[in-house]
Amino acid sequence: MNADTSSPQRPKSSGAKIIRYRGVIKRYGGFQALGGVDLDVHAGEVVCLIGPSGSGKSTLLRCTNGLEALDGGDIEFEGAMLPRDERALRAVRTRMGMVFQSFELFPHLTALENVAEGPRTVLRKDLAEANRRATAMLAKVGLADKAANYPSALSGGQQQRVAIARALAMEPDVMLFDEPTSALDPETIGEVLSVMKKLADEGMTMVVVTHEMTFARRVGDWVAVFETGRIVEQGPPTQIFDAPTTERTRDFLSHLGWTG
Amino acid sequence: MDFDFSVVTDHWRFLASGVGITLLLSVVSGLTSLVAGLVVALLRLYGPRPLRLVVVLYIDSMRAIPVLVVLVWSFFALPILTGLTMPPFVAALVGLTVHLAAYAAEIVRAGIESVRPGQTRAALALGMSRAQIVRRIILPQAIVRMLPAFGSLLSITIKDTAIASVIAVPELMRQSETLAGQSFQPIEVYTFAMLVYFVILFPVTRGVDMFYQRVAHLGRS
Amino acid sequence: MTFDWSVVWQHRDALIAGTATTILLTVATMAIAVPCGIAVAILRLYGWAPVRALAAAYVEFFRNLPLILVVFWAFYVLPILTGLGLPPLATGLAALALNVTAYNAETFRAGINSIRRGQVEAAMALGMNRVQALRRVVVPQALRRILPVLASTWVSLFKDTSLVSVIAVTELAYVAMQIRAQSFRVLEMLTAMAAIYWLLGYPQAKLVDWIQRRFAVTE
Repeated sequence: MNADTSSPQRPKSSGAKIIRYRGVIKRYGGFQALGGVDLDVHAGEVVCLIGPSGSGKSTLLRCTNGLEALDGGDIEFEGAMLPRDERALRAVRTRMGMVFQSFELFPHLTALENVAEGPRTVLRKDLAEANRRATAMLAKVGLADKAANYPSALSGGQQQRVAIARALAMEPDVMLFDEPTSALDPETIGEVLSVMKKLADEGMTMVVVTHEMTFARRVGDWVAVFETGRIVEQGPPTQIFDAPTTERTRDFLSHLGWTG
Repeated sequence: MDFDFSVVTDHWRFLASGVGITLLLSVVSGLTSLVAGLVVALLRLYGPRPLRLVVVLYIDSMRAIPVLVVLVWSFFALPILTGLTMPPFVAALVGLTVHLAAYAAEIVRAGIESVRPGQTRAALALGMSRAQIVRRIILPQAIVRMLPAFGSLLSITIKDTAIASVIAVPELMRQSETLAGQSFQPIEVYTFAMLVYFVILFPVTRGVDMFYQRVAHLGRS
Repeated sequence: MTFDWSVVWQHRDALIAGTATTILLTVATMAIAVPCGIAVAILRLYGWAPVRALAAAYVEFFRNLPLILVVFWAFYVLPILTGLGLPPLATGLAALALNVTAYNAETFRAGINSIRRGQVEAAMALGMNRVQALRRVVVPQALRRILPVLASTWVSLFKDTSLVSVIAVTELAYVAMQIRAQSFRVLEMLTAMAAIYWLLGYPQAKLVDWIQRRFAVTE
């Protein structure tokens, strides 16, 4: 699908291309996790990746910040190829924020220390500046009062919000979400999704792997449907959810019981 | 059977000096084997291949050779090889360190490997370097996870100091042997020694357990 | 410095006999300490309160004493307690057995306790009685956790047999040190002693590793 030029379907495509995936291939031994993925992510867009488990969505995300190396194709970030050198890759990672399904907060640090860790250790800010940023980010996700708590004292939803604050403290140009609500109790999913919506409304560029179809329908600007390592359909949410053009997409949605 | 514990009370200073040496040897060899174990573990995890193989051989060998043999060899055989004579305490320190460092290294390695890989990924995603990740994220959690095993190793260390009696280190076991031999009252003397060791060891394991309960959450990712 | 390694070969018969005693002690101790350990563990888990307390006290006491002290103490106390003059070998065996039983009791207790309550409940919900639930559900799973620890205890025991040398039991360490004293070939005999322990112990340690990998429990 050609989505290079701005169209009524893709209003934000006039913005800069933050990420370009061109023919991305990733193999694990004999298994091909990604078989040639083409996708653009424009500034300010919320791109949602949906599809069955094991279809490659999370793999693509991990390739985006170099946690996994590509076997073919390339990824362009802000106009430059993703480097292979570890040191250059580190610099790129500071401009991307990643949020994991299992939160991965550092258990030996308080919420505030978790959020301040990136600015302190990676950006080499002094302690006062790092703490100032961290406090601001915790307030942004609604957890200013939990600053002194350890992750073990926080609920799943709270931990995930702290994880979002931790990524935001680095002031990234794009936020990558890898199934952020899949490990949460239903009651706490809402609090995380509303933080994500708030970020989207503020214009953050986001790539979100999710099973929350309502979120993708309401907040997403562009949706890509994955199956066995390829994108079988991509388009605006109205198309994907209301009038899908491929059989595969229709099957996937009906399996989820999606009735719009 | 009547027991006369006056032999113990009459010679309490003699026995107390033994307790002092026991504690001193335990603490010092505990520290040296901890440091040595940490170095060995890091070599095993992050060192070049040939060095790693040597380290594995060393660790596995210490699992096969009794402490008694290592201590006796350190005191009697090592001076022949090196030409240096060591006083018994130093030989015991050397022997105990060499033996215990292998176990300490395994505890460190297990602790580090038990930290979830997701923690490394999250730290990488923030842009941290490998060295920063080990120092700031992996090691702090790993150290908490190692505590129970180290508590148990400390207990073993204190018990192993008693074996140093065989190379005439004047710790509690040796002092007890001497006193028992001179007074012909081995039962009273050895019973007293048993009580002293129990009183030293029991709180150590309990104390480590209790401390661990309070800090365990810092290692649970 | 001249070394005469032939002294090792000359005394090979004594060394082999000593090694045999070491192996015998290890096997005999385990043969006693496994059933006794199970008994103590069961007393500790299912006995009435005073029995449980006594079993717990026994375990805690012997796990917090140096074995070498227990050996000495047994040497002097057992003849008086039993009224018999026991040969050093029996005394050494008794001391080792007392010690290892305590460790085994703890191993068995922890192994049984580690099986989640839910497993027993699920078994009973199927209609099994307590004994069947124990036999068919708890014990097989507990064994998987117990076996690696038992293997590790075995190797420790093998090394600990060297401690009974202090009461002149003619196992490997005692024999080697006697030969050293008589022949004055200190480095050669002590190195040979270490080497023999290494030759026997190293494969055992590797076997324990294999057992731990094979029976690793993932939940």
